[in-house]
Amino acid sequence: MGLDALLEAFLAVLNGGSFLYLAAGVILGLAFGVIPGLGGTTALALLIPVTYTLDPLDAMYLAGGVMGATSFGGSISAILLNTPGTAPNAATTFDGYPLSRQGKAGLAIGASATASALGGLIGLFTLLLFIPVAREVVLSFGQSEFFLLTVLGLAAIAVSVRGKLLRGLVAACIGLLLAFVGANQFTGDTRFTGGIDYLWDGIPLVPALTGLFAISQMIELALKGGSVAEDGLSAVKMKITGVGSGILSVFRHWTVLLRGSLIGTVIGAIPGLGGTVAAFLAYSSTAQTARDRDTFGTGNIKGVIAPEAANNAKDGGSLIPTVAFGIPGSAETAVFLGILVLHGMEPGPAILLYNEREIYGLIVALTVSAVFASIIGLLLSRVLVLITQIDVNIVVPVVVTLSLTGVYVLEGRMADVLLTVLIGIFGYLMIRFDYPRLTLVIAFVLGETAERAFHQVRLISDGQVVEYMLSRPVSVILILAIVVTFFLPAMRKLPQIRRRLAGGR
Amino acid sequence: MKNLFATGIAALALCAGSPAFAEYPNDGNITFVIPYSPGGGFDTIVRQFAPALEAAMGTTVIPENISGAGGARGGQAVHRSDPDGYTIGVYNIPGLTVNEITGREQGFALDEVTWIANIAVATYGLAVPADGPDTVEELCSGDSPAKFSDTGATSTASVTTRISMAIIGCDIVDVTGYKGSSDAMVAVISGEVDATIKPISSLAKYTAGGSGDLKLILTLTENQVIDGVPSATDIGHPELAKFTLNRVIGGPPGIPDDVVAKLEDGLRQASESDAVKSWADGAGVTIDFKGAAETKAMMSDLASFYADYKDLVSMPQ
Repeated sequence: MGLDALLEAFLAVLNGGSFLYLAAGVILGLAFGVIPGLGGTTALALLIPVTYTLDPLDAMYLAGGVMGATSFGGSISAILLNTPGTAPNAATTFDGYPLSRQGKAGLAIGASATASALGGLIGLFTLLLFIPVAREVVLSFGQSEFFLLTVLGLAAIAVSVRGKLLRGLVAACIGLLLAFVGANQFTGDTRFTGGIDYLWDGIPLVPALTGLFAISQMIELALKGGSVAEDGLSAVKMKITGVGSGILSVFRHWTVLLRGSLIGTVIGAIPGLGGTVAAFLAYSSTAQTARDRDTFGTGNIKGVIAPEAANNAKDGGSLIPTVAFGIPGSAETAVFLGILVLHGMEPGPAILLYNEREIYGLIVALTVSAVFASIIGLLLSRVLVLITQIDVNIVVPVVVTLSLTGVYVLEGRMADVLLTVLIGIFGYLMIRFDYPRLTLVIAFVLGETAERAFHQVRLISDGQVVEYMLSRPVSVILILAIVVTFFLPAMRKLPQIRRRLAGGR
Repeated sequence: MKNLFATGIAALALCAGSPAFAEYPNDGNITFVIPYSPGGGFDTIVRQFAPALEAAMGTTVIPENISGAGGARGGQAVHRSDPDGYTIGVYNIPGLTVNEITGREQGFALDEVTWIANIAVATYGLAVPADGPDTVEELCSGDSPAKFSDTGATSTASVTTRISMAIIGCDIVDVTGYKGSSDAMVAVISGEVDATIKPISSLAKYTAGGSGDLKLILTLTENQVIDGVPSATDIGHPELAKFTLNRVIGGPPGIPDDVVAKLEDGLRQASESDAVKSWADGAGVTIDFKGAAETKAMMSDLASFYADYKDLVSMPQ
């Protein structure tokens, strides 16, 4: 059944016309990915009117091309400028940027490109395996599981702060405070809006992230002067540092790749969590369990592989709820659903029966574009690393202009631009006083879901929250995972303590 | 000097304005404001109507998404524009009506809007899991209150759920906070909640004829619209048929009557066009055209209807 449609979709790509749409999507996706503030969601939203006149299958190739390429595009700016091109690339800055500063940008980009392409392939392969059981997977995740997943994410913050626990907690609390701005889902009351109706829907994610990462980083660069790469690293040296060894590193660390991809697929399949959470969980779980965990954050290549694999794998995963129930698994698939509706396809369980051709077309488009984008990225990487050599007096104005334009384009609101600048200044103060920005972001992203899901569980369980959670198998597994996350650092110290005790005897 | 300047500007504005009225709509593009992001129900219907409206009016129609604040930002943008017929918008009704009744500041008053037409309507149905209770009575006879799923506490469906179940005399807990109506329906399928009230067209993909995961046990309509499923009248509460989701078109206060008439006529032609009809059939949308006068009457009717249930509308959980 499905295989015929899959084969047909692959053959259609070989036909020049369809490939043209796919290639256009990939190039657009790469460009929107590289520019901070823009991203797949913006690109797809802008494409909606364009796809109007297209054949549904061609619209899928165009949309799939964009969705497959943005995440790799975003990793390029994360690695080279410490400015994630799209929100999920934030975790890539941890180790990607230190590598750039050491003159190993080529290594990081090579690894990122390969991890993105392979992660995408693994994610889509998992999707194909999943489709028959998609229903059960989606139905087994309720509000109780959502809540526990957010707690797991928040618990992982402890890992991300690394020796700056107090500062990390302060940043996380600010993130939670920001998450609670806006209308309360349960009473309809508005909170912390200061009478500004712009804040009714809460603090919008894209302006907040663009300010916190892109603008703040540009302020830092502008004040520092010079160029991104540390002094004394010549362009020649940058070039020699191998893209090839970056590619090989992914195969050397294949378990990291596999783990990242699986986390990406699973998180992607759960509606409401999205790529940022997927990439971060992949990073933190890799950092937590690695033998050389002390080198994470200082330029460990595994810190680039894990989040990038997860980021691309989540595209496949997020199609599971979209295909099975018409529920978007990510912001991108939400806009993508709009494209489906415009083309007369009713999202939901019936879509696989009646629109097999288009859905498999999309799967093919995502697969090909993930690989295609990485190849283009690898070909350009030698030129791209030169960005780190450019004078900041050129880099800063260009990035600031592009990212503020991107924020404006998304909803056409000037208030978004203002918010981006304000949060950018705040973000710079965080850099200046050494408070972790990612911690704030994780708490900000998870806070809203955590609050909402908790209240829902409370209502659903008639106030018997704990009993209700313990009666659900998936919840129990998540509770165990949370307990392990909390105690892992202590458990690691056990051998040391024992040794010390033995030595003292 | 300042006064002179102001008079000059006013005179210029008049000069610029009057020929535009005379030639309407040959003087420019019509901006059609959508108060939500691309891809949703409001966006889709406007984008489907736009080409047909363009053909009927003989000028370009540009859909513009101005999302935020539960549809209030889009409404504000229309409200602030010139009343020349070149800016119109679709309104979130009765969402904005409910906001107004609960005293939430939304930047403009609904009774000042120039109502032009009502283009579509959605009617609600109550659905339970396929193996759930067969009647509303059975659903409400449990030991603990029946649990319903909804998006926001101020969403039309949630308000409808609370008021209609109170009218029937059924004790419920409305679990709000689901991200979209699909999520809310899946919560019923997975057994997380007992029931949900949603537009019949949205429920269709999960009820008989769709995947069969859900079962309709009541439609909030005057007459039976689905064989074997009782209507509100059948259970003795015909007033429940008042709960509908409308796609209402309006403009800023003070649009001249002849311009309103032209827009009304253009929207009527668009709603009768083959393209819109065939899209509506496929998407399960009920096109229900009402002219300006009828729409205005409907809006004041709705305001007083919801005002009667003010306490239930603003009830926090």
